[in-house]
Amino acid sequence: MSTLAMPPVDQLVLNDKEKIVRHLKRFTNPINVISDPEGITPYETDALSAYKQKPMVIVLPENTEEVRSILKYCHENNIKVVPRGSGTGLSGGALPLADCVLLGLSKFNKILEVDFENRCVVTQPGVTNLSLTKAVEHNGFYYAPDPSSQIACSIGGNIAENSGGVHSLKYGTTTNNVLGVEIVLMDGTIMRFGGKKLESEGYDLLGLITGSEGLLGVLTEVTVKILKKPQSVKALLLGFQSIEDSGQCVSDIISGGIIPAGMEIMDKPLIKATDNYAKAGYPKDVEAILIVELDGTESEVNILIKRVEEIAKKNKSSYLRISKNDEERLRFWLGRKAAFPAIGDMSPDYLCMDGTIPRKKLAEVLQEITKLSQKHGLRVANCFHAGDGNLHPLIMFDSNVKSELKRAEKFGADILKYCVKVGGVLTGEHGVGIEKRDLMCEMFNDEDIQQQLNIKQAFDEKSLLNPGKVYPILHRCAEGGKMHIHKGDTKFKDIPRF
Amino acid sequence: MREIYSPSSEHEVADFIKNCNSREIPIEIIGHNSKSIGRLIQCSKSLNLKNLSGIIEYFPEELYIKVRAGTSLALIETELDKKNQELSFEPSDMGFLYNGRSNKGSVGGAVACNLSGSRRFRAGALRDHILGFRGINGKGEIVKSGGTVVKNVTGYDVSKLITGSYGTLVALTEIVLKVQPKNEESQTLLVNNINLNKALNIFSKSMETSVEISGACFYPKKMSKFFKLNDLDTTTSIAAIRLEGPKISVVERVNTLKKLFDEYKKTISVLENYQSRIFWQNTTDLQFFNNSTNVVVKIILPPANTDQFINKFENDELKYVVDWAGNLIWVEIPENDSILLRQLRTEAAKVAGHITIIKAPNHVRIKEEFLTTVDENIKVLSLKIKESFDPKKILNPGKMYSGI
Repeated sequence: MSTLAMPPVDQLVLNDKEKIVRHLKRFTNPINVISDPEGITPYETDALSAYKQKPMVIVLPENTEEVRSILKYCHENNIKVVPRGSGTGLSGGALPLADCVLLGLSKFNKILEVDFENRCVVTQPGVTNLSLTKAVEHNGFYYAPDPSSQIACSIGGNIAENSGGVHSLKYGTTTNNVLGVEIVLMDGTIMRFGGKKLESEGYDLLGLITGSEGLLGVLTEVTVKILKKPQSVKALLLGFQSIEDSGQCVSDIISGGIIPAGMEIMDKPLIKATDNYAKAGYPKDVEAILIVELDGTESEVNILIKRVEEIAKKNKSSYLRISKNDEERLRFWLGRKAAFPAIGDMSPDYLCMDGTIPRKKLAEVLQEITKLSQKHGLRVANCFHAGDGNLHPLIMFDSNVKSELKRAEKFGADILKYCVKVGGVLTGEHGVGIEKRDLMCEMFNDEDIQQQLNIKQAFDEKSLLNPGKVYPILHRCAEGGKMHIHKGDTKFKDIPRF
Repeated sequence: MREIYSPSSEHEVADFIKNCNSREIPIEIIGHNSKSIGRLIQCSKSLNLKNLSGIIEYFPEELYIKVRAGTSLALIETELDKKNQELSFEPSDMGFLYNGRSNKGSVGGAVACNLSGSRRFRAGALRDHILGFRGINGKGEIVKSGGTVVKNVTGYDVSKLITGSYGTLVALTEIVLKVQPKNEESQTLLVNNINLNKALNIFSKSMETSVEISGACFYPKKMSKFFKLNDLDTTTSIAAIRLEGPKISVVERVNTLKKLFDEYKKTISVLENYQSRIFWQNTTDLQFFNNSTNVVVKIILPPANTDQFINKFENDELKYVVDWAGNLIWVEIPENDSILLRQLRTEAAKVAGHITIIKAPNHVRIKEEFLTTVDENIKVLSLKIKESFDPKKILNPGKMYSGI
């Protein structure tokens, strides 16, 4: 386990633990308040399992009024609160603090209304992302953002992290698909931002809280828009003899006026790893694979497929296959979706990074990653959401070998710094959390960070809600930890990650 | 006499605001002066950002453009057009409404007002297309957020907070916008002589199919007279649905909808590419209220409530146009009819909607609230946010709400 500086523990609060537990039981059914060691252990980490911390107490409220009472009580008594959805986050956003009340939203698990007329769904925040699509697909509708953990991650967590997915180039991320929320601030104030309409008056508070990583308020209700499923979806599986050619192909597709539903690149180490693992039937004699998925009406998809085919040939693709049916299309994705477990099979541990870069810098960044790999003496494989520039290098190491975790973390930090250097950002979809917190000054200076802290103050004047996350403590710049997987032992092993 | 300062660098903007902040002098921020949206405010100094102009970088294959805040929106669109790209939220040209002629204004002004055109319900609003910004807060500090990439969750999404903040949080200096390829073909399916209820019904039905419509508006009889299009019958009401994309696909989708709405076959027609583009440009630019001397308001509400809302005003002979597939109603009311304005506000609130005054004579802007946030908690939070950027409240004070 790695160590990390967190806000100082409030000993006065810890001394009052028994009283606090007793008081919390007044606000909700006493069985929803968990303070015994066995009950607490499952909540000691989220999916960034390199970091663990048991909370003081866990509360699982059942309705907005209970959330309001709990927050108001904690606010009045200076008790820190860490909100938690499904705990599938990859950046440690839901990591508890020793003196905190961990506020779990798992009992907010009902879809409240499916409204086809206004093309939206009103739901409680603990409902999983995939359940939203399941609730509307009988009418041919779906909820567009599709983070890889969608079978388990909650919509409230998606809003906290502004989750993406493989289709975000065309359909946007969570922020472009959420219409409204009910939110409770740290002092217990209940508010509604947005609703079933496209816009609200005044400041875009909905836009601000989306992606705020649980620092500004606790969601108790969510309204998302739903879309009609496209008539036809097809994919191309392309192979290239160089990363440069695959990157140029992506640029040419976009310059050619085509916005595919998804575009993914995998490099040779990853192709080899996934092919051994998932037997997806990828070509073995290529340096890079590019999957391009197109959707729309039948004839539109056919035209676009032809255009992409021409662009691929112009960029010297050495392998080209077009999906003949949905089954084949899903097979193209099979290897890509097996990327994380495949690496877990090859290496006792790995770190997953999450930088975003300008698409045209892909070859340059991958060359730098190769150099860094030699410098740090650790293997790496890369997958890339090429459509939106989101790069996930997977750094392989063995935590049983002295200093390897440290080296891996240093390697990861070097990659992220390079992403920022070429005009990219630290995190595309996993969030800052605690993982990238101490790298924030690579992108922001003190004034930028102070402005964001001032916004936090407007919502939570005592800084009691999820403190220690996102923004560096004392603006310290150092290497952060990464998503660390030991012996394939991820939290929620059965959740796909890509 | 108001003093106008027109800096030509971000550094000068910062120094000016820092200076005003230390002396607590309120500043009105101006772009190209193309529109007067918001409450009428009195400031002894104006900060004109028109000289902070020019494209900093434009990479078509990276789908973004970075510009200085005073850059003309028209110039940006011309540059994008050369690469067959566009701003897909369709920025409105408020010049027609304000002065009867085109004036798209500055990109900073567009961001400050978050104005989006007819494609908004499909492509998102301007706020969905801003990737990053630089600006000066009320203390004279440079603040920045976001970047040039679409997938970015590093820190709060301050870009969205700035969009639609009417210059009350920062004076914008740089803006990064997402750009998209232009659609190859645009066609519009028209149904004439149809009532609002049925029009909303065909919008809804269209969106329950996979045809992907990107425009849906309704003109009551008398509201469409201004159009000068050969193939458009302006003697009756019109429901219009836009289809965009590769030509073969557009033709196919138009035919799908024609079949779906067979019951209207006697009154259905199609506007081909050229006229279709003019139709939507005119609609997005509010040319139906060209150079209005009355009060023009924007009403946003859940689409299922639109018909019920309009019916409440059956006897008022309301001058209105419905856009965004029923999510938006533009209404013009006589400048002295404050009773009607209040009734619209009350009825909109009853159906979970809200009203923004987009144009009004000065005496109305003084008397009437520009926005009407009824939730006191939201007002309190908004004030705290304002103070987190601008503690002495010197940037466009009172432009949105009195005291903010």
